[in-house]
Amino acid sequence: MSHVDDGTLHAYLDGELSPAEVQGVDAHLAQCPACRGRLDEERALITRAGELLAVAAPPDRELPPFRAGDVKPLTRLWWKARLPLAWAATVVVALGIGTYLGKGVERVPQAPTASDTQPVKLKALQAPISSDTVQRESRAERRGAARTPPAAPAAPGPAARRATEMAAIPRDTALRAATPAPAPAPQPAFVMVDGALVEKASPISLDSARRLLGADPLAVPGAPIRTMYRAREIGYSAVVIVEQALDSSTVIEVVNGRRSPLGLDAVAVTGAAAPGERADSVSVAERAPLSRARIADSLAAAPGAKAAARALRRFDNLEIRISGPLPSDSLGKLLQLVGPVKP
Amino acid sequence: MGSSAPQDLAEVYRATYRALVRFLYRKVWDAERAEDLAQEAFARALVHKPENARGWLFIVAANMARDDARRAARERRHLTLLTAEPQESTLASDEAIEVESDRARVRAALDELSPRDREVLLLWDSGLSYEEIAAQTGLARGAIGTTLSRARRRLVQAYEAGKAGEHVARG
Repeated sequence: MSHVDDGTLHAYLDGELSPAEVQGVDAHLAQCPACRGRLDEERALITRAGELLAVAAPPDRELPPFRAGDVKPLTRLWWKARLPLAWAATVVVALGIGTYLGKGVERVPQAPTASDTQPVKLKALQAPISSDTVQRESRAERRGAARTPPAAPAAPGPAARRATEMAAIPRDTALRAATPAPAPAPQPAFVMVDGALVEKASPISLDSARRLLGADPLAVPGAPIRTMYRAREIGYSAVVIVEQALDSSTVIEVVNGRRSPLGLDAVAVTGAAAPGERADSVSVAERAPLSRARIADSLAAAPGAKAAARALRRFDNLEIRISGPLPSDSLGKLLQLVGPVKP
Repeated sequence: MGSSAPQDLAEVYRATYRALVRFLYRKVWDAERAEDLAQEAFARALVHKPENARGWLFIVAANMARDDARRAARERRHLTLLTAEPQESTLASDEAIEVESDRARVRAALDELSPRDREVLLLWDSGLSYEEIAAQTGLARGAIGTTLSRARRRLVQAYEAGKAGEHVARG
């Protein structure tokens, strides 16, 4: 038998030969000292190459736990949320841009009309209105989405079904009686929160919100609540959006997210961020002292997405964010005001 | 083989996630980015429910890494202009510096392999079988051993050569 070639030796050492092939190699090795010597060399080579590759491994982080029980949250959060949203978003964005271009101009320069119902505190916050593209866009998109007819393609299978299910839930009439603006019809819609797409399902009662979140939902005190929506977002086991009117033209959304230990830490994994990183984040400002190199790195790695730092506040299990057509520092101040909505 | 139910995918996730991150890391050289991409790959797998989830994940990951590298290259051109000022040196122990430079050496050595050799080596190191690697790369199964032996040899040689070169350069 001829000598064993390198490729066969590697396959042999890698345990990738068939039993018959192994037999053949063994038989040859038994009678060929030269090939036995090569076998040792190749084994050393394989070990060395493996060591070098191990050097070029990413820092060893905790494997996000993914036990049998984690399967369901994963499926629900990703599979149902991601794809339908992805293309629905395209539709929504298109509609939203149209709406925004149409409405933006008349809306922006409106001086704050002295409305008696408006708390003074909040009026002050609105003063320095500069352009805050992200927030405006989110607003615009929501508007666009609201115009989508119920049967439009923006509401694919699961979403549409959910909407009808949700519509069956009785609404809290007391809450609605206290709200000045009529709640929009229960249509599925999408809200852009910090660059993440959130599906709005349909209005829910305060009781339902409380059940979903396992706590009182939080909102900006003093501002009338127009509606509460249930929403879904990756990384949260429940999301309730409280829509509040600051004045006749300004509506903010207070997003109450109940952190899902499975969703966020196990599966959605926050990917980029180390598990703890998100937990202590409060404001953009507090994150600012990153080294320049670090920032450059993250820019190179993930344009846009990570550059937009998010402001959120944590209350026990809840993470609160606010979006609305206001400068981000105003939204940040509002965020500091939020408190639980009591019946 | 039936299509992968979520249970199967959970299994694949457990068995493959780290390997996928490692595989991606050696392409994008950014741990966070590698994790992002790995998760994205799993998210896509949940939607597509591929028959052979593991192989599918590596194919998707390889494609995403390639797109990512192109984009990163584009952006880096801009960034070099923006970060022309000297960067503040981050405090690091000698040991950390040594680990980092060793990593850089391996990276440079990997860069010297032909794309095909490198791909086969990285896939093997990620735990794929010859069979799977063959399916992935379009190579004949019988050629994998040969390719691997060449890739391993070149990797080690390039690494040693790089290290020797550094010593010469330092004098």
